[in-house]
Amino acid sequence: MAGYLGRTLVQLVATLVGIVTVAFFLMRAIPGDPALYMLGDFATEEAVAALRSRLGLDLPVYQQYLVFMERALTGDLGRSVVTGQPALAEMLSALPWSLSLAVAGLAVAVILGVPLGILSAIKQGTWVDMTIMLVALMGISFPVFWVGLVAVLFLSHHAGLFPALGAATGGGFWTQIHHLTLPALVLGLSVAAYIARLTRSAMLEVLGQDYIRVAHAMGVPEPRIFFRLALRNAFIPILAVIGVTFAWALGNAILVEVVFSRPGLGSTVLKAVLARDYQLVQAGVLVLATGVVLINATLNVLYGVIDPRMRSD
Amino acid sequence: MASGEMARDSAIPRQPAGPDDPEAARRRRQAALRRYTRHPGFMVGATIILLLALLAILAPWIAPNSPLKTEMSLVLAEPSWAYPLGTDQFGRCVLSRLIYGAQISLQVGFWVVLISLTCGTLIGALAGFLGGWIERAIVALIDIMLAFPGFLLALALVAAQGSSLTSVITAVSIAYTPRVATVMRSVVLTIRPRPFIEASHAIGLTKLRILLRHVIPNAMPPVIVVATVSAATAILAEAGLSFLGLGVQPPTATWGSVIANGQAVITTRPLISLSAGLSIAVAVIGLNLLGDGLRDTLDPQMRRQTGAKML
Repeated sequence: MAGYLGRTLVQLVATLVGIVTVAFFLMRAIPGDPALYMLGDFATEEAVAALRSRLGLDLPVYQQYLVFMERALTGDLGRSVVTGQPALAEMLSALPWSLSLAVAGLAVAVILGVPLGILSAIKQGTWVDMTIMLVALMGISFPVFWVGLVAVLFLSHHAGLFPALGAATGGGFWTQIHHLTLPALVLGLSVAAYIARLTRSAMLEVLGQDYIRVAHAMGVPEPRIFFRLALRNAFIPILAVIGVTFAWALGNAILVEVVFSRPGLGSTVLKAVLARDYQLVQAGVLVLATGVVLINATLNVLYGVIDPRMRSD
Repeated sequence: MASGEMARDSAIPRQPAGPDDPEAARRRRQAALRRYTRHPGFMVGATIILLLALLAILAPWIAPNSPLKTEMSLVLAEPSWAYPLGTDQFGRCVLSRLIYGAQISLQVGFWVVLISLTCGTLIGALAGFLGGWIERAIVALIDIMLAFPGFLLALALVAAQGSSLTSVITAVSIAYTPRVATVMRSVVLTIRPRPFIEASHAIGLTKLRILLRHVIPNAMPPVIVVATVSAATAILAEAGLSFLGLGVQPPTATWGSVIANGQAVITTRPLISLSAGLSIAVAVIGLNLLGDGLRDTLDPQMRRQTGAKML
């Protein structure tokens, strides 16, 4: 187990270094002078030169890279060109909003998606399976921002059940929860559709294994086959599914935050993109990617805890 | 083949269902075709995509009005015979904008599939086939790219390159190529140990030839499924970018921008946003049905691989 943890940790650090590298070159993907791009067409030459030296753009590329890496690893992701605040701090202040949305959305998705996917696999070929899969197909096909708009239109404007804004400016805990409900449902339902489809496939794969057929042939009772053999073996693939959908959910959370005018990483990144605040975009991309990497590393450790076979590589 | 062998071959009585029997081949083809025509999902999906493609190509003849012409006397008009879905706040025909919007969505879907499939297939196949440090390096790079949520990466890339059809296509392709490569590599890994590959090595074929003639063609079925799925993802990503105002720039009609325009007037004219969202959903449902149908008919074994890794 210690070796497994060690390998996971080494991989984690290597991936983080890689992410910083990609984020560095992302900024270099701007054609022309990033400083000029950020300041707009009417910037004075002095302002551009000042920004260039502040961003380190006057150094050779390899030095820029080393400086960037060194700073990034110590938590310094530069400053927002617009507000002058440290970019990391600005992102971290938006983090709780995104985290609550992601966690609530993922909870909805897992609570709905996993049982429906399992049910669908057990009832393969019946109308139950067909109905669940049809609904799931719709769930992955409707654009999430559009579902959000429609939900606001019908549930907020017409029915008055939920506030149209995804965040309360003040108010206690329950007010915040009330505002969070609709965005979390919208995000959760689309992710639930993915989870249901993938869980069904994972479960079908396990149900098709020889040991399940043998158990049937030996007359092992159905519930025992299901709980002791099928579900336990499908657990790892289902966990993997949840891990994969997490990154996807974070991407979609950007759109959900915008539709519900909710603060968060996504809307901060979008605002930064529109303001050409590239330091902030870079910081946002880094924070989100780091989140995904940390989740994946945690899941990797979990696999090892749950399934001893995963520890040996 | 020497002529003597030919003569000997034809002397052998023909087996009724031998592999070279043209009659049997025809029957096999028919059976394969029937597997598709009897798959309701596949047929529905194929029909939807075909109709949408026709709509996009014939847009100039089908659309009742110009998608760009603003009619200031007809701002936010109710649906009528001349404007079946009404007009938007600039007095433009909503239906015509949706019909022309299909051009953008389908183009993005097509090009992203072509680019990410070509690059992803080659990268994934090389990694899976060559193994060793090349594979480890490619896998590490793919893992890093996969840590970036696809839509976020596309957003950042479009922001860096400026918004145009080309940059949207490039950005979405870059974001989704690693996903195709992952699928391709895992498929190639299952092909590499098979006896016919070993045999190809044994008879002295070059690695390149084995890769191009034997490995990649045999890995195609899952890749074709991935193609349809990634077209669906690409269309959704383009719609999202357009909705945020970062896609193909106005006044070009795109489904995402029609939704964004309609959002301002959604309580009084819900039809604008609703119809645009339904257009996107129909296209994506069509592609997903097509993908599910292909997966069921081509190879039922690969369900999980292609699904999970494409997100």
